[in-house]
Amino acid sequence: MLKTRIIPCLDVIKNKVVKGVNFKNIKVMGNAVEMARYYSLSGADELCMLDINASYQNRKTFIKTVEAIAKVINIPLTVGGGVSVLDDITDLLNAGADKVSINSAAVKNPRLIRQASLKHGSQCIVVAIDGKRHENKMKVVVKGGREITKKELILWAKQVQSLGAGEILMTSMDTDGVQNGFDSSMLKKITSNVSIPVIASGGVGNLEHFYLGHLTKSTGLLAASVFHSGKYKIQSVKKYLKNKGVPVRL
Amino acid sequence: MKKKVIGLVDGQSGNIGSINKAIKEIIKGRPYQLKIIRGEFDYSLFNKIILPGQGAYATLISNLKKLKIYKPLKTYLDNNCSYLGICVGMQILSDQGHEDRTTKGLGIIAGEIKKFKSKNLIIPHMGWNSISLNKEDPIVTNNLDNKDFYFVHSYIFQNINKSNVLANTHYGKKFPSIVKKGNIYGVQFHPEKSHKYGLNLIKNYILKS
Repeated sequence: MLKTRIIPCLDVIKNKVVKGVNFKNIKVMGNAVEMARYYSLSGADELCMLDINASYQNRKTFIKTVEAIAKVINIPLTVGGGVSVLDDITDLLNAGADKVSINSAAVKNPRLIRQASLKHGSQCIVVAIDGKRHENKMKVVVKGGREITKKELILWAKQVQSLGAGEILMTSMDTDGVQNGFDSSMLKKITSNVSIPVIASGGVGNLEHFYLGHLTKSTGLLAASVFHSGKYKIQSVKKYLKNKGVPVRL
Repeated sequence: MKKKVIGLVDGQSGNIGSINKAIKEIIKGRPYQLKIIRGEFDYSLFNKIILPGQGAYATLISNLKKLKIYKPLKTYLDNNCSYLGICVGMQILSDQGHEDRTTKGLGIIAGEIKKFKSKNLIIPHMGWNSISLNKEDPIVTNNLDNKDFYFVHSYIFQNINKSNVLANTHYGKKFPSIVKKGNIYGVQFHPEKSHKYGLNLIKNYILKS
């Protein structure tokens, strides 16, 4: 039976894992390579890392960090942030990423999804979608939720699937960072409208939130703060889910 | 003592970093050496060949032909020499694949590669799933039965002779996750991404099979 994946997410600047909202009050949580090694050893099913300040100066160090992480883990690695053209995807895959996630570049230029999946295969192309409710509609947003686009969320999810995305990383900007749980209604809308895997992101604060995330039919559950802060260990989340009857890898 | 030579094929089908790293760890301090195969090669110089693959069947076959790897590899396999194919590296052992277009495979293990067909199934089959063994084999010693491995694929081995299926996995229905014929193995999952049990499987292949 396919197991529900528990995926810690590292927001990275250069080689440090950070926490901070919209570049304000940035707090260093630890060394990215050390944290990645720890999560791989302690039972993470996959690792996600995002370059959250993908400036030209920081990029080289970030790519080096990807290379260093790929060398110390033996679980799949998804890398995103700062991907704007096809070459960025190639660079990250060459650095050791197994999957690359594209976000605003895909919104700007949807053809990038098709080009990337034709070149590297759908299995390594993740489209990250940020969603937010606006005037009673679910919309696609960019720039960390500050810019609301014209795209309808569900239509966009269907479109990225037909363009060849292998997976959707779905973050609700209505619940992200608040730790009140995943956005179940948004996630259910997505999972019932696409047939590719969906990773739920944004809002985990306690154990029950993971279970509720599983009920949305998302096959991957992503979290950051609850793991980085040490509030929960990966294994304790998995044991909790197992007791609830959710298939997990222990 | 003469070192045994392991060939790792870079068919330009996904990166070979993880598997390269795994093999190096395993053979460290042991009488083996690793050579990367990137073009035409003398098949008689290799004791084992590992071919990892991602992406499409047709792309891998055409890459292998372009790189002049296909012919010596086919001769190597026709001679029942030791091989481990990973994901698409396993699939190309079949007679043909139906991804994008129908493509002739290496024809080592009878069968064909077809898309998962099941209503309401999330495709690709992505994530950790367990294997159930049909029989004992050196490659799965140390309790690998019922352990989880990392899968990512949309196509499966079909119309395969049961005697060539070493393990099955269930996703919508049962499908072959480890195949074997003589000294030739194929795994549908990615052992190099499958943490300690994945490493055990690669280790078993190199040291015990």
